[in-house]
Amino acid sequence: MRPTKIGKILGSATVWSGLTLAAFGADVRVIANPNVRASTLSTDELKSIFLETKTSLSDGSHVEPVVLRSGDVHHAFVSQFLGKTDAALETYYRTLVFTGRGLMPKALASDDEMVRYVAKTKGAVGYVSATAPVTGVKIVAIK
Amino acid sequence: MPIKYLRVTFRGGLVRLNLHLLGLAIASAGVPSLHAQFSFTLDGRPVQVHSFFSQGFGYSNDNNYLTMKTSQGSFAMTEAGLNASMQVTDRLRIGAQVYDRNIGNLGAWHPQLDWAVADYRFKDWLGVRGGVVKTVFGLENETQDEECLHTFALLPQSVYATDLRDAWLRHRGGDLYGEIPLRGLGSLSYTGWAGLRQDSRYGGYPYLLSVLGARFDSYGGLQVGGDVRWNTPLRGLVAGASRMSQDIDGKGTWYLTPGLFPIPEPMLIPYQEHTIRDWTHQFYGQYSAGNWRLASEYRRYWRDQRTFNDMWEIRSDVRGWYVSAAYRLTKQLEVGSYYSRWVVTWSNSVPGSIQGSPDQDAPDRHVYDKVVTARFDLNHHWHVKVEGHFMDGYGATWGFPSGFYQQDNPDGLKPKTNLLLIRTGWNF
Repeated sequence: MRPTKIGKILGSATVWSGLTLAAFGADVRVIANPNVRASTLSTDELKSIFLETKTSLSDGSHVEPVVLRSGDVHHAFVSQFLGKTDAALETYYRTLVFTGRGLMPKALASDDEMVRYVAKTKGAVGYVSATAPVTGVKIVAIK
Repeated sequence: MPIKYLRVTFRGGLVRLNLHLLGLAIASAGVPSLHAQFSFTLDGRPVQVHSFFSQGFGYSNDNNYLTMKTSQGSFAMTEAGLNASMQVTDRLRIGAQVYDRNIGNLGAWHPQLDWAVADYRFKDWLGVRGGVVKTVFGLENETQDEECLHTFALLPQSVYATDLRDAWLRHRGGDLYGEIPLRGLGSLSYTGWAGLRQDSRYGGYPYLLSVLGARFDSYGGLQVGGDVRWNTPLRGLVAGASRMSQDIDGKGTWYLTPGLFPIPEPMLIPYQEHTIRDWTHQFYGQYSAGNWRLASEYRRYWRDQRTFNDMWEIRSDVRGWYVSAAYRLTKQLEVGSYYSRWVVTWSNSVPGSIQGSPDQDAPDRHVYDKVVTARFDLNHHWHVKVEGHFMDGYGATWGFPSGFYQQDNPDGLKPKTNLLLIRTGWNF
């Protein structure tokens, strides 16, 4: 596959290859419930899903974000795809909650919880470590 | 549909909860982890409950500020809110928040329905929401009550005046909103709204007029406006503009006293006032990169109001702007600073009354505020802020709320005010 330079985070270049993001020493894989029809999302679409400005895809699939509570994978995903710090994302979600503009996304503690939740929840989109087993979910490529 | 069951999930566990214990549980919940949620299911659908509480202490060298006795040190700075929201369907969400505050003489512990919204999203580029809706206006209008969301203990008062929060904060009506992708040029978010404003009796404007014996039973009216913001292709850069027009009526009673008016005995008569012209423009930009957050806003508020039973016309042209910077040094510590500049030009038609000074450098024409702050996040839900304000001027104490009031400063106002503000807040 063709490696693509996707950015510079804290002075270290990260390289995206195939379905996996490498940043901060954490490889991130975006996953979705199998009923999400799209197999590929743009970075803008992914960002919009996690900022809750996009609740459905162009094919009509309903989507909702699921986040990890903390950790390297969470940090890498938030920095790279959402362009925010962990604290800024938390403040963003609280802003939605306290102004009536949205809900706090489901937050899970581990890859295992994430995979199980995404597998059983219609429209769920989440992320896990590239090494995590991903049974029952679909892997989404980010272009 | 009837409620079939109620169950509560908290930190991954499941607890069967008596409905009568719900309030107690909300008040006592401890939530030590990121994104911790208090939620229960109502007929199979999750309902999220969130809350915030904030307590402040202000101490100033001379002038009393924001209706508190800050010159003696004041703890009269409390705010709290509690909300519940649920996603009814993929497209429909409902929720409501109750809010209460006691800041000096503002709020006076009278709870308000802060927002109560039904929100239906047809497409990402078109949604509607109705009910009691927080007004999208500039960067921080909707969140000005939620101190936990900000670096600063007090937002720049040139734009987000604590004593005038009701004027812009929410409307009873509806919004159209959405986000439109711009193909390589970022995206455009828009909100248009129309509705009614209904002020608390315990806001800064009623407090200002109370010195002349006026007391409002109602104050509010039509608001129409919109906000457009461009999420630029440069990551972290947002620029936008807001506009609002208002048509406001106030009704109440007016207690006339011989000391203030040429009458032999006190009289109680009806009071009313209404808008001739009232509009606000706001322009703003924000840039976030890494641990930095830079922001700037400019607001101009024009108000032409016929007051005191049509006897006097008061015109105010208020212009405020600020620039702010915040930097997160560590996970626990964020520091910030802003410079806020507020200038009022005002005049009235009251024969022989005090008019605004023509000199913008006069202290009754402006409030310039230099601020430094440190925010300590003790954990994800509890923070403490220590903030210093160095203010020059006190604004138009006879003409327009500016944070400084005559009744709080009966011996007159000094041109400079230094204020120490400490606030601690908790939220989940």
